[in-house]
Amino acid sequence: MTVLEAPAAPERPSAQDEGQLERATERRNRRTYLALLLPGLLGLLVSFVFPLAYMVRMSFNQGAPDGVIVETFTLDTYIQPLTDPYYWRVTLDTFQMGVTVGILCVIVSYPVALFLARSTSKWRGLLVAIAIAPLLTSAVVRTYGWMVILGTNGLINSSLGGLGLIDTPLKLTNNMTGVTIGLVEIFMPYAILAMISGFGRLSPQLEEAAGSLGASKFKVFTRVTLPLCLPGLLTAFLLVFVLSISTFITPRLLGGGSVQVLATEIYDQTTGLLNWPFAAALSVILLVLFGLIIAVYQRLTKKIGG
Amino acid sequence: MRATIKGKMAAVAALSAAVLVLSGCGGGSEAAGSGGSATSGEVNLIAYSGVWQDQYTAAVIEPFQAKYPDIKINYASKRSSAEMLSALQGQKNNPATDVAIMDNSVSTTGNKQGLFEKVDEESVPNLANVPEKFRDKEAYGPVAMLDAVGLVYDTATFPEAPDSWKVLWDPAYAGKINVNAPPSLLGLSLTAITSKMEGEDYTQGIDSAVTRLKEMAPGVQTFAPNPDEYQNVITGQTVLGLGQNARGQFYSDQSNKKMGVTFPKEGTVYQINTINLVKDAPHSEAAKTFVDYALSAEAQTAFAKALFYAPSVTNAELPADVKDRVVPTDGSLNIVPLDVEFLSSARDKWTDTWKRQIITN
Repeated sequence: MTVLEAPAAPERPSAQDEGQLERATERRNRRTYLALLLPGLLGLLVSFVFPLAYMVRMSFNQGAPDGVIVETFTLDTYIQPLTDPYYWRVTLDTFQMGVTVGILCVIVSYPVALFLARSTSKWRGLLVAIAIAPLLTSAVVRTYGWMVILGTNGLINSSLGGLGLIDTPLKLTNNMTGVTIGLVEIFMPYAILAMISGFGRLSPQLEEAAGSLGASKFKVFTRVTLPLCLPGLLTAFLLVFVLSISTFITPRLLGGGSVQVLATEIYDQTTGLLNWPFAAALSVILLVLFGLIIAVYQRLTKKIGG
Repeated sequence: MRATIKGKMAAVAALSAAVLVLSGCGGGSEAAGSGGSATSGEVNLIAYSGVWQDQYTAAVIEPFQAKYPDIKINYASKRSSAEMLSALQGQKNNPATDVAIMDNSVSTTGNKQGLFEKVDEESVPNLANVPEKFRDKEAYGPVAMLDAVGLVYDTATFPEAPDSWKVLWDPAYAGKINVNAPPSLLGLSLTAITSKMEGEDYTQGIDSAVTRLKEMAPGVQTFAPNPDEYQNVITGQTVLGLGQNARGQFYSDQSNKKMGVTFPKEGTVYQINTINLVKDAPHSEAAKTFVDYALSAEAQTAFAKALFYAPSVTNAELPADVKDRVVPTDGSLNIVPLDVEFLSSARDKWTDTWKRQIITN
């Protein structure tokens, strides 16, 4: 505040005074920003930081049978999963599921997103709304829908059977195939949204320019369109990947108990066996996995962007 | 201009902060009472969800409220007893629940952890009608109802009910079987039954059972049937599965006998629910009134008729058509004893064994 009172004598403020004034305004702005951020930060603290800290603390406790939690400080809950091949397999399966779903989701969403991003139709808004409309229905409901479609007597098996193409029903559910199909569809709207917002640099003029210089349509796509879309594709992949490796309900419902991923394992440990410390440790491991992947992603986008 | 925008921003910030503080303070503020009145107030009940909740509400809770209009029952439903135990453990220092109806393997754990109160005939007179075998040795919550694990089957595929668990291994039905893997009690029970079929003492080890279950696993369509083990058979997704007799009987009626449930000859495992008073419950007096009513012949008969659970009291008279369909408790059924104390130590191990050795894709 003293800074504000100081420049009284000269009629025209000197460069030095102007600098001071600017700094004072900046400081005041910073305070306003802080005040504005405070409610959100408080909300984050209560709803995110506290539970997270509680979970991390819980992961160092010891879980005795029947839900008894022994307050202590042990690394056993981490050593056990990290030295047990079973949990490595579960982690690897989780990772593989995320990659597969991410890639497939990007492949099937890309044409839709590209069409929507380039569309100049007056219906574009409506089309975007339709593309993301599935989000209005809960993932649980959509998963149940897939159970009906993929089941032994479901739409696909009964159609194929009716056409005489198969004798015994295909096993499309209660395994990883079912989970992958369900997840790809469920995450498509997220992928489409992420892509549309990531296609900022895509411009029809560049494609036209390439075309007018003699590039074939295929070449325009591979040399101009696709490279410009890459940031959007990568964002969509990352989003779907992260959503997939943390998703619980679809692997649980469409996996039929045979698909064991980190999220279902955490659920079993929490609600079935009441081993909260162990479940907390698995959750921390999943979080670390997230962190690593996001770090890699940032490096990648920097590379592509730069 | 800038100042006014800033002023507005500050106002928004202050407002959102206020909203946040207010919403944070809006939690329950009910003071813990000293037990309250026996004929008024409320009772917070924690019990199973789904069809169990619907039938228990209609058969027991609604008639109770008609009898005691000043007591309100707040039903908090959970999918499993383990979830109930978890909720009660979370409330240990400040109980919000009064009564819990849960599986006895889990309530025994609750008793050991000091979550429940002892029950006596003075405060719960109908306890007098509960025979000794259905009471807790240390006078904690008594048995409220009994059921047993059954074999659920599609009546079109099996016009005659299968009489042996061995049908689960029959290659003719491979891919059409649902088995609930542990920690589900159904899977734990199947482990004990298979162990017995193999002539093994499951308290010593389950190697032979695991070998047999591994042979069954490739033919299992799902180890976690959804929406549940009964609907899977009713909709034709599978033709055989594990299930509980009570719900099985109920859904058999609901599906117009499309599905049946039976007790195979090699024996089965009881599924027993106890009714428990929570220690330091906020409405303990009204809770005792409710527990007493739940153990009355009237409530026990009504629930047996509604969901085919066997009563735990001696004075409940069931009509012949209901009596034939609830699990016998007179010793006429071949029972594989699954000791609750043992189960609490084996649950983790058996679940692990299933995941690592039996369920492999």
